[in-house]
Amino acid sequence: MGSFLGRSVILLVGLFTLPTLFGDFWAYQLGLYFLYSIAALGIGICWGQAGFLPLGQAMFLGIGAYLSGFSLIHFHDSAWLFLLLPSAAIAPGLLAFFFGLLIFRGRVESGPYFALITLALSLLTFQVATSWVEVTGGFNGLGGIPGLPGIAGFKALYYVIATVLTISVCGVAWLVKSPIGVIWRGIAENEPRLTFFGYDTPLLKALAFGISGLLGGIAGVFYAPHQGLVTPNLAGFILSAELLIWTAVGGRKTLMGPVIGAILVGSLTAELRDVVPVWELMIAGLFICVVLFMPKGIAGWPEQLFRRIFSHSRQEEKVTLAARGILTAPKLELSGCSLSLGSVGILDNLSFQIDEPGIYCLIGPNGAGKTSTFNAITGAVYIQSGTIQLDGERMSGLLPNNVALRGLGRKFQVPSIFPNLTIAENLLVAVWGGRCSLKDLFSYKPLNWSSTIITDLREKFPFLNQDENSANELSHGEKQVLELAMSLLGEPRLLLLDEPCAGLSPEETEKVIETVHWVRSTFDTTIMVIEHDMALVKDIADQVIVMHQGQVLTIGSVQDVQKDIRVKEVYVGVSI
Amino acid sequence: MNAPIFSFEGVTGGYGGGIVVNDVSGYVNKGEVLFVLGRNGVGKSTLLKLLFGYLKLTRGHVRFKGNDIGSKKPEEMSFLGITFCPQERVVFDNLSVLENLVLMSRNRDVTPFREYFECFPILADRLTQDAGTLSGGERKILSFVRALGEERQLLMLDEPTEGVQRENIIHIANLITDRKKSGSTFVIVEQNLDLLEALGDHVLVLDQGRVMLSGRADIVSREDILQHLGV
Amino acid sequence: MDPIALTIALNVVYEVTTLFVIVLGLAIVFGLLRVMNLAHGEFIMIGAYSAYFCQDQGWPYITAIPFALIIAAVVGYLIEFTLIRHLYKRPFDTLLVTWGLSILLRELIELVYGKGFQSLSNPIPGSVNILGEPYPSYRALVMVIAVVSAIVLWAWYRRSLTGARVKAMVENTELAQAVGIRVDRLARHTFVVGTCFGALAGVMLAPLTRVEPFMGLDYILTSFFVLVVGGIGTLLGLTAGAGVIGGVQSVVANLFGETSGYFGVLLIAILFLWLKPNGLVSRS
Repeated sequence: MGSFLGRSVILLVGLFTLPTLFGDFWAYQLGLYFLYSIAALGIGICWGQAGFLPLGQAMFLGIGAYLSGFSLIHFHDSAWLFLLLPSAAIAPGLLAFFFGLLIFRGRVESGPYFALITLALSLLTFQVATSWVEVTGGFNGLGGIPGLPGIAGFKALYYVIATVLTISVCGVAWLVKSPIGVIWRGIAENEPRLTFFGYDTPLLKALAFGISGLLGGIAGVFYAPHQGLVTPNLAGFILSAELLIWTAVGGRKTLMGPVIGAILVGSLTAELRDVVPVWELMIAGLFICVVLFMPKGIAGWPEQLFRRIFSHSRQEEKVTLAARGILTAPKLELSGCSLSLGSVGILDNLSFQIDEPGIYCLIGPNGAGKTSTFNAITGAVYIQSGTIQLDGERMSGLLPNNVALRGLGRKFQVPSIFPNLTIAENLLVAVWGGRCSLKDLFSYKPLNWSSTIITDLREKFPFLNQDENSANELSHGEKQVLELAMSLLGEPRLLLLDEPCAGLSPEETEKVIETVHWVRSTFDTTIMVIEHDMALVKDIADQVIVMHQGQVLTIGSVQDVQKDIRVKEVYVGVSI
Repeated sequence: MNAPIFSFEGVTGGYGGGIVVNDVSGYVNKGEVLFVLGRNGVGKSTLLKLLFGYLKLTRGHVRFKGNDIGSKKPEEMSFLGITFCPQERVVFDNLSVLENLVLMSRNRDVTPFREYFECFPILADRLTQDAGTLSGGERKILSFVRALGEERQLLMLDEPTEGVQRENIIHIANLITDRKKSGSTFVIVEQNLDLLEALGDHVLVLDQGRVMLSGRADIVSREDILQHLGV
Repeated sequence: MDPIALTIALNVVYEVTTLFVIVLGLAIVFGLLRVMNLAHGEFIMIGAYSAYFCQDQGWPYITAIPFALIIAAVVGYLIEFTLIRHLYKRPFDTLLVTWGLSILLRELIELVYGKGFQSLSNPIPGSVNILGEPYPSYRALVMVIAVVSAIVLWAWYRRSLTGARVKAMVENTELAQAVGIRVDRLARHTFVVGTCFGALAGVMLAPLTRVEPFMGLDYILTSFFVLVVGGIGTLLGLTAGAGVIGGVQSVVANLFGETSGYFGVLLIAILFLWLKPNGLVSRS
């Protein structure tokens, strides 16, 4: 925390000395781009961190500016300003948050549609600003906005804006480093996987959008007194697009990238646009290159260098959470579950019950519906008839994160981890799910959490100790094990493993089997495993469930199933 | 004896750097059928994908009509005279049955396919419907008829009878037998042993990516195969 | 028939048919290929400036067509080959890169022609008699061409297999390769056809609008809205979208003014994006 404060002070001091170096008037011009960079920080959070693209960021700038301008004109010297100005910043933030909730919880699945909606909304804002002449002054805008009370002159306002910028950067830096930043980056990489850990991802994305709205609003609040005039262009598409380009060129994934992009590229463009005719052309070309080849932007390398020079390992206390111990055994009941896609039947009146803890192997030929059964149980897919109950409570129809919170863990067939997060972060994400409240996510404490399960797993699988390595660098086998570890950290009562040994070497397979046995005996977890390898099934299964064409063919011990003629037929075909 | 029309040696490879298929060799003569058997997950489909060029060979050679085709891309295979029926996503769901059949023809004329409609009237019935509305087995039939219609010399089929009803499996077997007589060659991945017994000339049994058993179908016994299928 | 009602009706038909022509190129590139080409408006701009160039040289207006097509084809081919073909599976990046391209193209035109707008003279002045009322001849011609091309296109699409092959390629690339579709080539040609249609729209509309570097912006936004409302992937969807957006825009504008017309379009687009993102005519 110490160096964090130190860096902020350096930034502040640096900004404060600029007027002395370059002259007051130039500093005043720069102040405008400081404000733009605050708005750009918002794009950095949505796009660089959480992975969704807001095409209408200027709309929040505009709303904040109009509200601020209006307040300053009509409540000029009154104490009301202390309430109104902060509200002018918060209002766009709240608007963004609620819009975000509406959109992310709705039917719109794909990112590009969100981008188009924000585009349409910003166009709408522009239209409202242009048409609502009585309030906004129409196309000519809201003019004659007085300065902030008690702050007279360019210079004073510059220092205020520089301070606000520094505070905003600090705020964003804190968010990026805290658990919510890790989760946002997880959302950008593999959002569905997060829901299976219990996270309410639409809420978290809406939060990101809300914060970006707040940043836009803050910029807008100071824009009005700075420029004295607010026109509809402030809320429009062109500015939104420019903010986006500045963020991208500066480096959307870095902290200072949006700031550097907005200040450098933005102010240079204003200066050079008329002097150098090809300037805009060059920037467009640079933008294309950045999108294609350098997502880190121009701030990318300096930031990495900076981090290397100034970083120090956080030697803070690790808080090791004890495992919750043996949990109540789940009672899983599927009855009459059916599901078809078009006219293709996937599950057909599927029914079975699991009352006792144990290891249940789910086998069957391709297309039998094994993974679909897992999908139905965890809420990834909704059954069209029948019910799924856990401990007598109806689960069919719940969202995956709500299912996960009831004590279900899942491991996918193809290792589903977060490649660009470190190994430590991958494990932490799994530990936090279900344990962290929303408030916890904003504090630094969860970053130091560990769990006795992690300690045990690290002994079995030494590669898990390489905390700082990116998960991307792991081999296929190691990724499988990492995901298995992650699925255990939520301490599920019912653990679903989909071909946990797919693609593993014999040695790795042995270790994984050992781990499965360990989990079973230590936590008395109920485990369901989809497997094809009969040797494996013989090794671990207490009971075998054979599926065929979306139904249960038979349930029994390994020996029973091996002797069953119907099972043989299903695997090798009926005589012709 | 002539050299086999299609052969592969030491084929090794998998997905994203991992090894799924390890040192697999086999061959098939013109007008014959090579069956590739094994339980789920042993690498049969991966082998076909390596042979057809969807996956890069880590090691090994693939030869067709004397030429090394190991580095060819899937799009080039049709010009070489090889076709492929995948195991999943076997037809174009968003196109009609008719379009699926005539997609690479000169026009929308289905007359060349009439002979197949006699065996599989369901296709004629659903000619204008989207292929996605067909059942799994019906799609397999459509995929098979499409491949036959292309009249290529080598057909690689991945589980052509999965989900197909009994009567239609018999039709499929008969059509393959007829084609064999006209000189077409087949490599078929299957789990259905009885198809093997009706049609197979060579058999390759895989487990964990390696060849467990290989030989002429009339020599290798059903018991041996079952043992390696491990059920 | 009441002259005012007739004029309004004709204007609605005009809006809808020109919208169809404007969006057609994007319907091909976005609807079939799934490429969100934000530079689509700039290809219309290229077509319009080509027409201006030809008229400026004193050539008959019809020469604008091959001229614009050649430029659009060359530019489209270059763009696909260097940029787009790496981005088929990356929709976000396609959005951004094509946005950068649109700025690039805009700036290039600005360098040559400046920021101001050009007006072209009407190639077919005068008016024609429709149901007893005079209507500008060129506009009438544009509507006729739009309707005729829609019918011809529809007829061709039904008979030919090219459209089916493009859809197949996008839906299931591996299978498309297996049946022998040359995926790279087909994608490239489809993209270029889309850009060419954009340029053609520009040639048609140039005499009827202000030709300036920023003209593409309006077109691209409206085009996306048409596709969102109508649904992508089918000619019917394109027609439905053009009908709804064009209809709403012109009816509302005629009754309440331009701004309200635009408002109406925006609101409908937002509603569809939120509630029915697959549009009116969806395939799935």
